[in-house]
Amino acid sequence: MSEHTRKLDRREFVKLMGALGISVAAGGWVWNEFWAHDDPIGEANAHGGSGPYWAMVIDLGACIGCERCAFACQATNDTRTGHLWNIVLRDEATFGTPVFLPRPCMHCEHAPCVEVCPVKATYHREDGIVVMDYQRCIGCRYCMVACPYGARVFNWEESDEENPMVPTWGTVENPRRPRGVAEKCTFCSHRIDAGLERGIRPGYDRAATPACCVICPTEARVFGDLRDPDSPASRKMTGRQAVVLRPGLGTKPHVYYLLPT
Amino acid sequence: MLSQIRQRVDLFWVWIGALLAVIAVGAYAVFLIMYKGLVVTNLTDGTPWGLWIILDLSCIGLAAGAFSLSALTYLMGQEMYRPLARVAVFVGILGYSGALMALVLDIGRPDRFWHGWFFWNIHSMLWEVTMCITLYFLVLTLEVFPMVVELPLFDRFPWLRDLGHRVHRFAPTLAIVGMGLSLLHQSSLGGTYGVVVGRAALFRPTMPLLFIVSAVAGGIAFSVHVTLIVQWITGRLLVPARVLLQAGQMSGAVLLVYLYMRFWDTTAGNYGYVPGRTEAFTTLSAGPFALTFWTWEIFLGGLLAAILLIRARFSGSIAMLLTGSGLAVAGLVFNRYHTTLLAFTEPLSVNPPVTDPLVTDYTPAWTEWASAFMIVAILTMLFSLGMRYLPAFKGIQVDKPLEERVPRLVQGR
Repeated sequence: MSEHTRKLDRREFVKLMGALGISVAAGGWVWNEFWAHDDPIGEANAHGGSGPYWAMVIDLGACIGCERCAFACQATNDTRTGHLWNIVLRDEATFGTPVFLPRPCMHCEHAPCVEVCPVKATYHREDGIVVMDYQRCIGCRYCMVACPYGARVFNWEESDEENPMVPTWGTVENPRRPRGVAEKCTFCSHRIDAGLERGIRPGYDRAATPACCVICPTEARVFGDLRDPDSPASRKMTGRQAVVLRPGLGTKPHVYYLLPT
Repeated sequence: MLSQIRQRVDLFWVWIGALLAVIAVGAYAVFLIMYKGLVVTNLTDGTPWGLWIILDLSCIGLAAGAFSLSALTYLMGQEMYRPLARVAVFVGILGYSGALMALVLDIGRPDRFWHGWFFWNIHSMLWEVTMCITLYFLVLTLEVFPMVVELPLFDRFPWLRDLGHRVHRFAPTLAIVGMGLSLLHQSSLGGTYGVVVGRAALFRPTMPLLFIVSAVAGGIAFSVHVTLIVQWITGRLLVPARVLLQAGQMSGAVLLVYLYMRFWDTTAGNYGYVPGRTEAFTTLSAGPFALTFWTWEIFLGGLLAAILLIRARFSGSIAMLLTGSGLAVAGLVFNRYHTTLLAFTEPLSVNPPVTDPLVTDYTPAWTEWASAFMIVAILTMLFSLGMRYLPAFKGIQVDKPLEERVPRLVQGR
């Protein structure tokens, strides 16, 4: 009994505090060294006012539902039939005449998929684009549950399917993903990166612009930096009413839809 | 001749054999899943979570008796619950093993299951759950370790048994740590659903609370239920009837609290028209889930279970306790089933980008069923072996065990 209720003497107290201090310091170092710096959510949100604001602007009045954007995406990113990154939805019931809604990934500023991923396999790049590390993904599919836009697909099996869109609608630029991981639209970040390296501007130059925007025959979807007032995306938006999908969720999508005039 | 065989055959090993057969079929399904990938399941991009997640949530929920009864025994000094807590801890470690097995099957990359410990996303509910359930699994291992080293098998290793005694001295500490971890992850499992902003059916701040309260009720009920079954089959008395009745009543009371919370969550949460949530509730209460929702989750597994569990103590009826606890367990499983599948029933008017609106047509593939039954069979087998051989569950022999009673019944002697 006395053993359990005995008080600490000063010497033991100092020792204990010392040990505590050392463990806190060590813990802080480990935290700082390994985890604190790759906090994708904090940094992407803090990045706020500088650098490019990549956005896609889709004119619902100009979209004719030809689905070429979906074909080009499938060819370029080597996605599998039935598991596309970019789809075109068709609604006839609402207005009587068909309305088309192309749906890529929204590249949300407050992306639910980034927030819920248990291993940070989905993250914001410095420039705000939401991408995936396919080597880190464990395939838990929480991101697919969390995405409010249904923009994510899963590799249910190792795919050796021949890409039906190659070569008619483009050539493969993105290696196919392994079995057991989730995947999603990247805003063709490989084109953006390669373009910037060569000194050409995404949105202006075809080689640095997402495949879906390049192929669009009616220029219904354009890409660019919304902080650059001359970019095709900014010019497209001028004088038009732009909306985002499900604004009430607070996800702040980087894909804007222009309502038909 | 036949009667001789009947007398010689130990029903216990027939039981284990049957379980092994189920495990064998499941093992083939697991092989297919690992070899071909998740394509052999009926999971789709639209319904990415299914039977395994329901199994996982049920296992963890029903294992909550371990932390609740340990806390009662070791922290609140209710010593009389000690024998029941022991059963609950054993059920607990099996439940968490089952949950971990289900998760390893479910993730697309089982080879990367360890990523959660190395690549932290502290914002993710699922990361929190991963860390907590693996840490709590360690706690349960430490709690079960002293029981296991009591096996005659370990007679030759006195140092191991000594270690067991030392570990057991930390039971109160383990109970505190276990309670802390459980309070975190039982609720953050609900939070896993509760934070999904895009799915109105799930996006409710009440989810973590509903999950933990229902888990405490269902977990205690499950421990009581399996104890009663073991006592009936073996003819041994593990836990005094008074303790079981009292634990049952407690579970019934917690279940009532849960139903009360659930009532207000539904009523206030669906006031007027709430896009998505109202449709989901209609699907639940009047759509394809209506039959199982009203009968199993609300009336049988909820209200009736609570009434029987509470009444059983006053009337001292073991039959009532057995029925009530069984119904409460079923209620919890059905709740996890409805919650999981309701997530994937978003109407087009609420979520324009969704291609396959409203009710999912997901029914698990045979591979999913077989592997799920395999997990349940493994757990049942380990539980049966533990109850038969672990000295901690020796109890007091009050009647002949079932395998001696049954041949007698068969022969009409």
